[in-house]
Amino acid sequence: MTELYQRLATAILEGNSGKMPGLVQKALDQGAAPKDILDHGMVVGMNEVGSRFKRGEMFVPEVLMSAEAMQAGLKVLRPHLASAGVKLVGRIVIGTVKGDLHDIGKNLVGMMCEGAGFEVIDLGFNIEPEKFVEAIKIHQPDVVGLSALLTTTMRAMGHTIKSIEEAGLRDRVKIMVGGAPVDAEFAQRIGADGYGSNAPAGVELARRFVGAG
Amino acid sequence: MRTNYRVNSGTRFQMLSQDQLQELFEGTLHLLEVTGLDVYHDEARDILKKAGAWVDGRRVCIPPYLVRRSLALAPRSFTLYARDGNPRHDIHIGPGRAHYGPGPTCPNFVDVDTLERRTFVKSDVELVARVVDALPNIDFCESLGTVGDVHHQLAATYEFAGMFPQTSKPIVAWSYNWQDSADIHQIAVAEAGGQAAFERRPNYVHYCEPLSPLVSTFEAIDKLIFAARHRVPLVFTPCPIAGGTAPVTAAGVIVQAAAESWIGLVLAEAIQPGLPFITGGVLSVLDMNTMILAYGAPELSLCMAGLTELAHFAGLPVWQTGGCTDAKTLDEQAAIEGSLSIFFSELSGGDLCHDVGYMESAMTGSVFQLAMMDEAIGYSRRITRGIEVNDDTLAVSVINHVGPNGHYLREPHTRRHFKSEFWYPNLCDRHNFEEWDMLGRTKMRDRAVARVHDILASHQPSPIKPETERAIRAVLEAAEERVKEG
Repeated sequence: MTELYQRLATAILEGNSGKMPGLVQKALDQGAAPKDILDHGMVVGMNEVGSRFKRGEMFVPEVLMSAEAMQAGLKVLRPHLASAGVKLVGRIVIGTVKGDLHDIGKNLVGMMCEGAGFEVIDLGFNIEPEKFVEAIKIHQPDVVGLSALLTTTMRAMGHTIKSIEEAGLRDRVKIMVGGAPVDAEFAQRIGADGYGSNAPAGVELARRFVGAG
Repeated sequence: MRTNYRVNSGTRFQMLSQDQLQELFEGTLHLLEVTGLDVYHDEARDILKKAGAWVDGRRVCIPPYLVRRSLALAPRSFTLYARDGNPRHDIHIGPGRAHYGPGPTCPNFVDVDTLERRTFVKSDVELVARVVDALPNIDFCESLGTVGDVHHQLAATYEFAGMFPQTSKPIVAWSYNWQDSADIHQIAVAEAGGQAAFERRPNYVHYCEPLSPLVSTFEAIDKLIFAARHRVPLVFTPCPIAGGTAPVTAAGVIVQAAAESWIGLVLAEAIQPGLPFITGGVLSVLDMNTMILAYGAPELSLCMAGLTELAHFAGLPVWQTGGCTDAKTLDEQAAIEGSLSIFFSELSGGDLCHDVGYMESAMTGSVFQLAMMDEAIGYSRRITRGIEVNDDTLAVSVINHVGPNGHYLREPHTRRHFKSEFWYPNLCDRHNFEEWDMLGRTKMRDRAVARVHDILASHQPSPIKPETERAIRAVLEAAEERVKEG
């Protein structure tokens, strides 16, 4: 089994989406516990991706390929995890705030969070505060991610957090913010729980919020 | 099908027009024919006379037809081979290819531990060669210094013996005279597997330097004869100083340098027709305030570009100069002077660009400057690689597929090209402020030092053959005996 876990981790590392369903199925057929397949195989690969990226040995398009491989594996594994009563890492609602049409940073965080085992609900861009409030009510996420690229729209993050507070939902979610003009001080000022300076930092933060990091 | 479609496969740069180049060329021929040079070597004068030169005492004048014939004999393209057969360390000299390496003979060296300037010693040679071997944009090796802690007649022998095992990149070997040139050759030939094998795959270049203005010294010429007889590719490079040992004007320095070098060409091709000959010169100005030969002057880059264009016009490869500075320490001046001269050298496409890593007007060698310039060379090479235009790179179908407000990060097109289309820095920092802060707020200087230390701690060059090790020991023992007797 150890060898099969190794192959799963390698397939993730190589971003080999094609191989993943077969490998996961094989592990299941051989009687491996779904949670072990995730923890000893896929997550090991994804963690290595993270540290290689940090060292500058892997690049964003490659990290995305690994994230896609992770998703391809999870597609097969998810029903088995569910029936075994294993919860995924967590659920996250993300969106670019009102007035901002910039999508790429938020997409990147979304894809990488999925790769890290989160269930991601992507609201899109130019999202009104009320839409976030509604999404929290419907999806019950652990984490809410707000994105903005412009100095003119970053204030909308504060408005969004305020709306969440006014709806009485603030205690139910951790809120993280990100985007080029945002920094830790700003995040604190508007009452966010944390800030990610780039996509992988955002994923790390989300993992910390749900106690997985 | 395209028709009459013209492609520039790199960034184009040309300074002088064909008319101007023709004038420089004719000026050089005129100097060689009318003024001539003093040649302090009896045998060389005999050889030149037999070849068709006019000899009057020491003065040798060369008729234009003889220069043209010699130019026709010298190859524009040839290969310098890695001693270990590693094709990535081979240097293919030819049009549109620029290569880089350190320079020779600085008396001082920036100590890699203390970062202080001190006398250049034997162990520095090995260290420089190992760093050269590891840096991806440094193509050939010189030692950056004259070994100061051995018998002064053996400095070049020890230098080559120290460099050779530490890098498989081709070496440009500096020497004093016939004797140490023979020492060097013995080592190189042992590795190549004999003289015949060496001639087919030369693994080093012989470096000779005549004197400006217009003097072919005995040593320079004697070494040239050694190289020609043993078929060692040759660099023959004067160092005229504008306003001091050469005219103050750029065009004047260029024609004088060419004349000083091309008499070597005529002699070399008379002895060994077809010998690879690399013309050169370090062409720069005498700073009229400090009286130094300025290695960081814009005129150096300008004159070297002019000389490069003249050499290529005449069909010769050129010994370029760049990556050097008058700064005393690895500061902003070192970065500006070094990087700009690298970029200009890269644009002009000089064949072997040397003196990368020189500081303090060639008085001090620095592997840190060398490492910083490795970055500047990579940067410059990306620019001169230019923009490729075809259906795939136009990516119209990819743009169409992604559409408004999509993104390209997961496109197969992006994945296929992002590594080759972008240049990735080794030393330039692109972290955001917080990451930079977390990583210790390093400056370029700190990162250059760290890179060198990292290379020295980890890089292993490919080993030399056992017979070469024996040859090196034998050469050094014989050399020590020689100076004992003397």
